Amino acid sequence: MTAVFELRNLFKAFGANVIYEDMNLEVEQGETFTIIGGSGMGKSVCLKLMIGLLPYEKGHILFKGQEVGDMNREQLRELRRHVSMVFQGGALFDSMNVFENVTYALREHTKMSDQEMLERAKECLDMVGLGYDPDIMYRFPAGLSGGMRKRAALARSIAIKPEVILYDEPTTGLDPANSKRIGEMIKKLQRELHVTSIVVTHDMPIAFGCSDRVAMLWDKKFPFIGSAEEIEHSEVPEVREFVQGIFREDKDD
Amino acid sequence: MRAILESIGKAVNDGLAWAGGMTVMFVQAVLSGMRRPLGIYDIFYQIVALGIRSIPLATLMGIFVGMALTWQFGEALMGFGAKNAVGSAAALALVRELVPTIMALTVGAKIATGMTAELGSMKVSEQIDAIASLGADPVKKLIWPRLAAATVALPLLCVYGNVLALGGGALIADTVFDVPAGYFYETYVDELYPMDYISGLVKATTFGMLTGIIGCYQGFQTKFGTEAVGISTTNTVVATSVTIIIMDFVLTMIFLPVG
Repeated sequence: MTAVFELRNLFKAFGANVIYEDMNLEVEQGETFTIIGGSGMGKSVCLKLMIGLLPYEKGHILFKGQEVGDMNREQLRELRRHVSMVFQGGALFDSMNVFENVTYALREHTKMSDQEMLERAKECLDMVGLGYDPDIMYRFPAGLSGGMRKRAALARSIAIKPEVILYDEPTTGLDPANSKRIGEMIKKLQRELHVTSIVVTHDMPIAFGCSDRVAMLWDKKFPFIGSAEEIEHSEVPEVREFVQGIFREDKDD
Repeated sequence: MRAILESIGKAVNDGLAWAGGMTVMFVQAVLSGMRRPLGIYDIFYQIVALGIRSIPLATLMGIFVGMALTWQFGEALMGFGAKNAVGSAAALALVRELVPTIMALTVGAKIATGMTAELGSMKVSEQIDAIASLGADPVKKLIWPRLAAATVALPLLCVYGNVLALGGGALIADTVFDVPAGYFYETYVDELYPMDYISGLVKATTFGMLTGIIGCYQGFQTKFGTEAVGISTTNTVVATSVTIIIMDFVLTMIFLPVG
């Protein structure tokens, strides 16, 4: 297996707030890798660092051996052609309908005709379970339910046929049925498109149901990395408490 | 004493950081605007969104500022038996100063706050990050069209406001001071030289550019949460008004010796 992303000795801070210190992580091609950890610890920051949306102070982030921090505008554009991201709230563009949202990256990166883009949009919407329904296709995000918005965002991220998809809390705010559906979709996309998936989530059924490997963020690093089964049944107190949702009074002290 | 000096130092530091950040964004926007595709459609879309939709407000401001100023000058000149000079007196004040400034303070502030609210909401909902993650340049897609549109729209609205201010002034001159509208028009136009129009338009263009960049910068600087959008929008009103008044003084200093 070859590594798609390698994060080495990474240091990232927002002012005095240190997020990562000497952090190391490696994501291999074709796997579904899930990041878990407490709220506000910087899990989403990790995804934004990988795709070059945030700068880092020290260390290395390598995408297929190429340093993300040294990339120029064109190289970043190329990186984002291969790596796409599904944002927590979907981040669909309010002023565009579903079709325009889904085909946004195609307009940026390809010279596809309108007809080709329509076909691709249908294909993607079908893949995420929204099907080809003109009513949905030309609806604006405000007219979609939370689950539909997430799936439309997912369709937007796969339209350009990326190699890696970054999911930032894909099931937040969804009911259990819709969460399960998103989880199934992540597995389906990996199976059918052979993409590498990096998922940030608090949703344990998603983390252990879809992942090949799971990493837990703790004390500005990823000290606990293992197969989904190893992490689920870990005897390490920090991991066990987090996974089982055990609340310890002295944790907040 | 130390605390006062520290707070002054912090305010100066914050002000410089704000002005510096905005200058960097302005340069980035202009450079990105020069790259192909030029985004002409986006600019026209924004001119319609910002300019055309501001016409009702610009109409009201133009007519009423013309009427109010003519009335004030008329009252003052009547005391000297010189009410016929009301057109000459009003012309310079309206074209050089009041119409561009009042337009910028009202229409410009409306445009800037609209930009901040829209871009701030996009920032909070991660839509700006989404644009970047899809391989597009948010500065090129969001800031350049708005900046260019505001820079074009405000002078156009200023020309429109000047015509209406002249009309409003003529109405008051005729109905309140018995100065015929035709005579008011002739004395009004006779008083003006090309440089007066140019100085008004340069002011309006500069104000348009400032409102555009302040509106966008504040939107992009929005922190997290819906409350942050409100804070950014309020800051935009203050920043736009103060910057326009200061810039008006600077431009007046530059143009007065010329005029």
